[in-house]
Amino acid sequence: MRFVAGCDVGSLTTKAVIMEDGRIRASAIIKSRPIPADSASAVIEDVLRAAALKLDKIAFTVGTGYGRDKMPFADKAVSEIQCHARAARWFVPGARTVIDIGGQDAKEILMDPDGSILQFVTNDKCAAGTGRFLEVMAKVLGVSLTELGAMSRRARAPVVLASTCTVWAQADVIQYIHSGKDPADIGAGIDSAMAKRVATLAGSVKPAPEICLTGGVAKNQGVAMVLERLLGMKVAPFRKADPQLAGAIGAALLAREAVSGSRQAGI
Amino acid sequence: MKQQCAMALLQDAASRIDPPAVMRWRDEGRPVLGTTCSFVPAEILYAAGVLPIRLRGLAARGSSIGDAYFGPFICSFPKCLLELAGSGSFRFLDGVVITPGCDAMRRLHECWRKAGEDIPGIVPGFFHYFDVPHKTEGHGFSWFIDEMKVLVEKMSSHFNVKITDEDLSSAISLYDEGRRLYETLEGFLLEDGPRLSGTEVLASAIAGSVLPREDYNQLMRQAVEEAMSRPPADECLIRLVVAGSVDDTLDLFRLIESRGKALVVGETLCFGSRFASNSIQASEDPLRGIAGHYLVSSTCPRMFGGYAERLHRLLDLVRSRRADGVILQNIRFCDMHGSENGLMARDLKRMGIPALRIEREYGPLADTGRINLRVDAFLEQIAAKRLTIKRVESTASAASRAAAEV
Repeated sequence: MRFVAGCDVGSLTTKAVIMEDGRIRASAIIKSRPIPADSASAVIEDVLRAAALKLDKIAFTVGTGYGRDKMPFADKAVSEIQCHARAARWFVPGARTVIDIGGQDAKEILMDPDGSILQFVTNDKCAAGTGRFLEVMAKVLGVSLTELGAMSRRARAPVVLASTCTVWAQADVIQYIHSGKDPADIGAGIDSAMAKRVATLAGSVKPAPEICLTGGVAKNQGVAMVLERLLGMKVAPFRKADPQLAGAIGAALLAREAVSGSRQAGI
Repeated sequence: MKQQCAMALLQDAASRIDPPAVMRWRDEGRPVLGTTCSFVPAEILYAAGVLPIRLRGLAARGSSIGDAYFGPFICSFPKCLLELAGSGSFRFLDGVVITPGCDAMRRLHECWRKAGEDIPGIVPGFFHYFDVPHKTEGHGFSWFIDEMKVLVEKMSSHFNVKITDEDLSSAISLYDEGRRLYETLEGFLLEDGPRLSGTEVLASAIAGSVLPREDYNQLMRQAVEEAMSRPPADECLIRLVVAGSVDDTLDLFRLIESRGKALVVGETLCFGSRFASNSIQASEDPLRGIAGHYLVSSTCPRMFGGYAERLHRLLDLVRSRRADGVILQNIRFCDMHGSENGLMARDLKRMGIPALRIEREYGPLADTGRINLRVDAFLEQIAAKRLTIKRVESTASAASRAAAEV
């Protein structure tokens, strides 16, 4: 059987990918439901439908994300750290550092030249530096997340947010709106605050080039731009797939390795 | 059946702030004293006919009282203790002995008193501050003995008892018996196929900090028998040592071991082996023997100038227990363990020993998802390392076989 699957149940979204001979055959993203098993079952139905396959055609499935242990159909549960590291090497073969910014957490992973994980850090129990921070700010500004990401390019004099605490930054943003600041400058300030927080966390693993940015926030060009400047190294672009799918892709790649017995490190 | 109950009863005692045996002791009209630190010599209290129990915050379900008196930027453990005190959960206590185990615990003494002005009846009749020096030699040692003498004097006067050297020696023997039993139980973790989990061993240590000692020793004897009767497991688990901040709940150990991938084979925790093991050296003066045990043999980072020795002890533990890695955990805002864990992580890394640092909140593991992720990723890292070593060994062995054939 040549099909394998990866399923990533995250805090905000649930993602699934079916791979066929190392290529993505189908993918699906849904909003996470309160019960992880329900999210996993719903997304796997979607992705099977998109791939025009039945579950029994999938040779091996790896589950990841906060709901990784709650997937009735998964053959193995693997941490997101391992999955994002694996996906980053697939996106960018020379990647040594992964910065994954998801809905409610941020992770930085340092790999050796062979792709083995040397070190990793995750954010503390706090919304600052996560997708939730951007989501709250976009809502205050009245724009979509995509629009927020594009604002940095139009900014002339980005504002400075005194704090990366989501609550305090929200108050700052409202203050700037009331004082008549250009929304693009406020948007750029938000991206910059976000990137600074992530760069501080990334600094603790001493990032090495190339850097691969994964997770939903990787779609935000503004954050990526500031991160490059702060870390002093290029954030490698990738075009193979939606970066939000990275966890599920990594899981599918590990599923493929489990079937072929080629690597199996850590699973 | 009787033996199976012992392990369950130890876990039950470790999971409640007022185990039935403690309540029975109190119902018999005997005093119960709460203590806040592994530096309080339980033997002195026991010699006075008083039951010493370590105060735990595990039943706290909020921190509104704790926040009001402590403020936000401080370890949540003393805040939970104050929360329980303020809400009346410690009203069964006849007294409390508070130490400056760290600055946050020192402040517990002030905050509890202050809260007592606002919430009547929460400060027990015997409320003693037991100072502990930060140095072990010379003046520090004498000071600690003086503090113990003051404690003896105050307790004798308050509870109207006389504490003799014979009483102290008898209490020392009783506590040491429990320590030896604990070390026997802990010794089962040395086996390749474990007969019991690290969670069960931690539970037995925590139970030792609350149960009347005779009850505890009896349960421990049964627990040792029970462990011996269990068949050794044939799983090859990842062996971990846990170090760092106070942990009086079983949640973290359960989380580490619950996936069936890892076994906690050792720890250096305040509620664990730091209190539960190491017998007291015999001495003509019982107080000197007690001081030697509590002050000198402690691995608490509150003591000045002892980092190298603490690191050495941790490394000894890693080697003797054949641990694959170390989890260095600390409660948020725990200055002592937070900074010491940074140094430990650096030095373990230099020696090629995998180490994971976790900062967590004290209390019900609301942070379970994030801690789970870190622990899982750490275990995967160790598993990958093991696999690489196995492959290298297998390649080397194939190469030497080939060379021999040539």
